[in-house]
Amino acid sequence: MIPLYGFVAGDALGVVVLMQDHETVADLALRLQHAAAVRVAPRPRVSVVAHGVTLDRDATIKGAGLVALDRVDVVPEAP
Amino acid sequence: MVLARDEWLDLARKLDWTYAYVTEAEVFPEVVAGRPWLPHAAWQGFREPYRTTYADYVTNQHGKELAVHAVRAAVGKIEDFQRLDPQWLSAVKLHAATLPLAEFAAVIGNLRAARFGRDSAWRTTALFGALDELRHTQIPLLLMHELVRWDRQFDWTHRFYHSNDWVAIAARHLMDELLLASDPIEFAIATNFVFETGFTNLQFVGLSALARGVGDRMFETMVKSIQTDEARHAQIGPAVLATVVAHDKAYAQRLVDKWFWRQWHLFAVVTGFAMDYLTPVAHRKTSFKEFMTEWVLDQFARSLAELGLERPWYWDEFVASIDCYHHMVYAAAYSYRATVWFDLALPGPDDRAWLRDKYPATWDELDPIWTRITERWRTGGPDLEWYVHGTTPVGFCSLCQLVLCGGTPAHNTARVVDHAGRRYIFCSEPCAWIFAQDPGRYGAHKDVIRRILDGEAPANLLELLRTYFGLQPESWGKDVARGRYGWLERP
Repeated sequence: MIPLYGFVAGDALGVVVLMQDHETVADLALRLQHAAAVRVAPRPRVSVVAHGVTLDRDATIKGAGLVALDRVDVVPEAP
Repeated sequence: MVLARDEWLDLARKLDWTYAYVTEAEVFPEVVAGRPWLPHAAWQGFREPYRTTYADYVTNQHGKELAVHAVRAAVGKIEDFQRLDPQWLSAVKLHAATLPLAEFAAVIGNLRAARFGRDSAWRTTALFGALDELRHTQIPLLLMHELVRWDRQFDWTHRFYHSNDWVAIAARHLMDELLLASDPIEFAIATNFVFETGFTNLQFVGLSALARGVGDRMFETMVKSIQTDEARHAQIGPAVLATVVAHDKAYAQRLVDKWFWRQWHLFAVVTGFAMDYLTPVAHRKTSFKEFMTEWVLDQFARSLAELGLERPWYWDEFVASIDCYHHMVYAAAYSYRATVWFDLALPGPDDRAWLRDKYPATWDELDPIWTRITERWRTGGPDLEWYVHGTTPVGFCSLCQLVLCGGTPAHNTARVVDHAGRRYIFCSEPCAWIFAQDPGRYGAHKDVIRRILDGEAPANLLELLRTYFGLQPESWGKDVARGRYGWLERP
């Protein structure tokens, strides 16, 4: 399990989610949007950014190079 | 012949002497007395503006005690508190929990100064300060104890600092260093100057005005009574700081920079919540921002200038955070309200209009959060607390131990830092800077997430609340109206 700090754009705080190596960046976005859903309505199209780079949504957590306690941001995609 | 007070007071308060059998450095070792270590000649100019004698002190304090007890006898019973707005009572619970045992820790800090302060007038004033802080411990414990049998949340007046609740971890992280671990010089600058002169002395003035507005004469009397003590012993701060500035200005500046930020975050939570959210909107006097601008920014900046110091290097970030920080923490706390020991209020249309008026630069970013939370209440209906409550673990700053609420909703300023093989996260640049100044002091401390990851605290939220934070369903925080607001239309 890889714990990650997640920040959903528009939210008031950062949360921590646990991800499996084989789960995808899209899974991560879904989990973070769900975690923030009390405060921020989930958006249909979002990107996940880590270390200033937008991650491939089909990449696995491991494949995207994410390691324990990295910061990731969920940002809405431009329409 | 009995001497008049002014004929003997200076002799009594300035009772230093030349040591014959030991050196001054042995009487006041630097490791305990603090740095810069200077011979007594450098400190003997210590002057406290409000000189007092022990007899005068006891007489005055006795009078204040009588006043508090008289008000308590008149309006300090359970039925008096039951007449108050529940929203305001949450502000009382928050303040009552964070205050008394911190004051007790301040007794120890003052007593260390009463022994190791470098001038006898400083030591005498610190001794009075210790007696003050003992009183500040006892008064809230006494007043709130009466209320525990009515409302278990008041039990947190004593329980708070003994718990592992996340707010308590943050408060202890600050207060332990501030009040228990600081040497007398750092204590005088951090507590007497920054905390008391910069923040709490004026906070008590603001809170007593709010209490009066909502009709809480007991709380008003309590904080007023405490404030008059604070104003007296806070005078140690500028007197000590002036000497440190004269001999090691860089160190003085660093202490001010460190402690102003350390205290700002917890102060913003305790006072910002009370002023902008937990006081019913009809009774709010000024916004937290207006209070900070008038009483803290202007006066504190002026005090620094008079002492020849600069504003802290992060001043622009601090000023910006006044518009946002406590709002973000409140939204976080509201949506995780079962993790605290007091109830939180959902801002209604009047509140949000007031907040928009008071915070025009940032409210547009914050308001959608309350729109969303309000929608959840509408969808779920009243009493469905957990439908409008977070369940995912929250991240905490490795320095201030508070939730990661730096910056704005669009740009959270949290930053991950690797140090000595371990990962840390800081909510802001000043928190990262304070850590970097002294990683040996802070590095081993574990925030709540680290405790969960290391198996020391449960990851399941309900288990975390019950077995680690020490909260039970009857005491953990809920929406103050249980979602039953007149303005909250049902579909």
